[in-house]
Amino acid sequence: MTHVSIKELTKIYPGSAEPALDQLSLEIPTGELTALLGPSGCGKTTTMKMIAGLLAQTSGDVLFDDRSVLNDRPEHRGVVMVFQNYLLFPYMSVADNVGFGLKMRKVPKPEIDRRVAEILELVKLPDLGSRRPSELSGGQQQRVALARALIVQPNVLLLDEPLSNLDAHLRFEMRDLIRGLQQEMGITTIFVTHDQEEAVVLADKVALILDGRLKQYENADVFYKRPIDEATARFFGGQNFVSGKSNGLVFESALGKLALPEGAISGSGKLTFRPENIRINATKTDENTLKAVVNERIFLGTQTRLRLVVGDEKLDAIANPNEVENISTGDSVNISLPASSLWVLPK
Amino acid sequence: MSDRLKIALLLAPALSIIGILFFGGLLIGFMRSFNYMPVIGLTDPDLSAYAAVFTSKEFYLSFLLTFHIAFTSTVLSSILAIGAALLLRRTFIGRSLINFLFQLNLTVPHLVGAIGMLYLFSQSGSFARLGAEWNLISKPSDFPAMVFDPYAIGIILQYIWKEVPFIGVIILANMQSLGEDYESVARSLGANKWQAFIHVLMPLIFPGVLSASIIVFAFTFGAYEIPAILGASYPKALPVLAYQKYTDVDLAARPEAMAMAIVIALLSALMIYFYVRYTRRRIRS
Repeated sequence: MTHVSIKELTKIYPGSAEPALDQLSLEIPTGELTALLGPSGCGKTTTMKMIAGLLAQTSGDVLFDDRSVLNDRPEHRGVVMVFQNYLLFPYMSVADNVGFGLKMRKVPKPEIDRRVAEILELVKLPDLGSRRPSELSGGQQQRVALARALIVQPNVLLLDEPLSNLDAHLRFEMRDLIRGLQQEMGITTIFVTHDQEEAVVLADKVALILDGRLKQYENADVFYKRPIDEATARFFGGQNFVSGKSNGLVFESALGKLALPEGAISGSGKLTFRPENIRINATKTDENTLKAVVNERIFLGTQTRLRLVVGDEKLDAIANPNEVENISTGDSVNISLPASSLWVLPK
Repeated sequence: MSDRLKIALLLAPALSIIGILFFGGLLIGFMRSFNYMPVIGLTDPDLSAYAAVFTSKEFYLSFLLTFHIAFTSTVLSSILAIGAALLLRRTFIGRSLINFLFQLNLTVPHLVGAIGMLYLFSQSGSFARLGAEWNLISKPSDFPAMVFDPYAIGIILQYIWKEVPFIGVIILANMQSLGEDYESVARSLGANKWQAFIHVLMPLIFPGVLSASIIVFAFTFGAYEIPAILGASYPKALPVLAYQKYTDVDLAARPEAMAMAIVIALLSALMIYFYVRYTRRRIRS
């Protein structure tokens, strides 16, 4: 169980002018599960490799329990990384793959066999020890990779896109398994993902990295309610951005005057609110009511997306299909923007 | 016209050349090895040529020498090639140039390399003269015998010089396609650099090393020109001995030469079979 501190970690690859990672600082408390979230190429995997000691940093520091580990070799850091494509050793059986870390530590063979059997039981693959990785499904390979990492009881577990290669139903299963094992074993875990939903569901805290820089490091719900800027809001599915001016209580824009929640900034900025927070068929008693015209209606299965027009502004709303089944394209509807769902971003 | 017929017709020119020249020659050689050579009146096939080969002391000495040349050259070339590939896959300034220089002698014929070896390493060669000039040895003939020597050092050096880049290029391509992630996994699981190399990288590149080293073994076991130029007069490498018999003024020696050639081919195949079996078993364990 280890507290991980990352201090202004920077990586500039040879021949590149731009840093792949620019002064990243994070505090990851003992036993927590933290997500490094961002699009491909934003520096997430680079960060993981530097924590694991597999890549040298250009500057900055990595500390485990307040001790710098920069001079520790990868095999002495107590960090295990599970790669996106699992990288099971193809010429070894599942049992040999899982026992690899113990073999490298020169643990006696009977002890290895016992612990391999235990951990395979834990990841629900008790009878597959003699198989080769090529004989396993993607989900089974992922479990073996996880078992291979957990068997050495790492201080820090790094998971690189742990669910990205799995089918939808396996994702749910693996997500629960990872979360369950992590909580049971209390291992400080950092995982990388480009999928905000995956990050939100799995992680205690999310670090959003865009273009090699840390944008925001918060509990998952904050990214939806209080994004730090437009890029962050957009990354989390934000669609509605209206320019205007705030006095901290009211936002004045092409939509008119809208009441703001407590803590909103003053000055020029952009008002943002999530599509699912727009209330359709609002009554006069609702907050911040507006009249909108339905420009487009898209059925998404469990939801219906409405493209609305208010004056010159275009807004995106998501509603329960049952609530909007009588609304057609071209109809005029009353909408409400509850003050608690509004947030002003700096310009 | 059916697709099968089309393919057969398109392949016919190449197949007929292989069939007539290779298998035809092999068949004639095989027949002659059984003492069947009607042009000189040998019309009753028998095993006398093989008997002569297997009762000749010279044959066994030649076999040992040839095996030593092929085995030592293959093992040393493979080890050096793996080392070179490990260095060349790293990123460093001037890597492209070093890579180019490493592969340069792939284009140089064996014969040219052998003559170079002769100029450099013989007791009248450049190194012997320089050694004498710099008083490291009293006269050039004191230079250690590395060419025409009984241990075939010159021949092995020549093969290493030529085969290291050949095996190295194959292994390097193999390593580059694998990347370093497997080793990274091993390191993060607690393996040190050496353990990651032995337990992870080696088994992964092993098929490539095996294929390349089989080619090198088969070539060095059956090659004629290098042992002919750089080899000692006794014992001779098997291909040199076989060729000597083949070019004997007495045509009656031909069946023995053919028997020897067939034995060389069979021994080579047999040794490759055992080499593959042994190394695969080693790597699995």
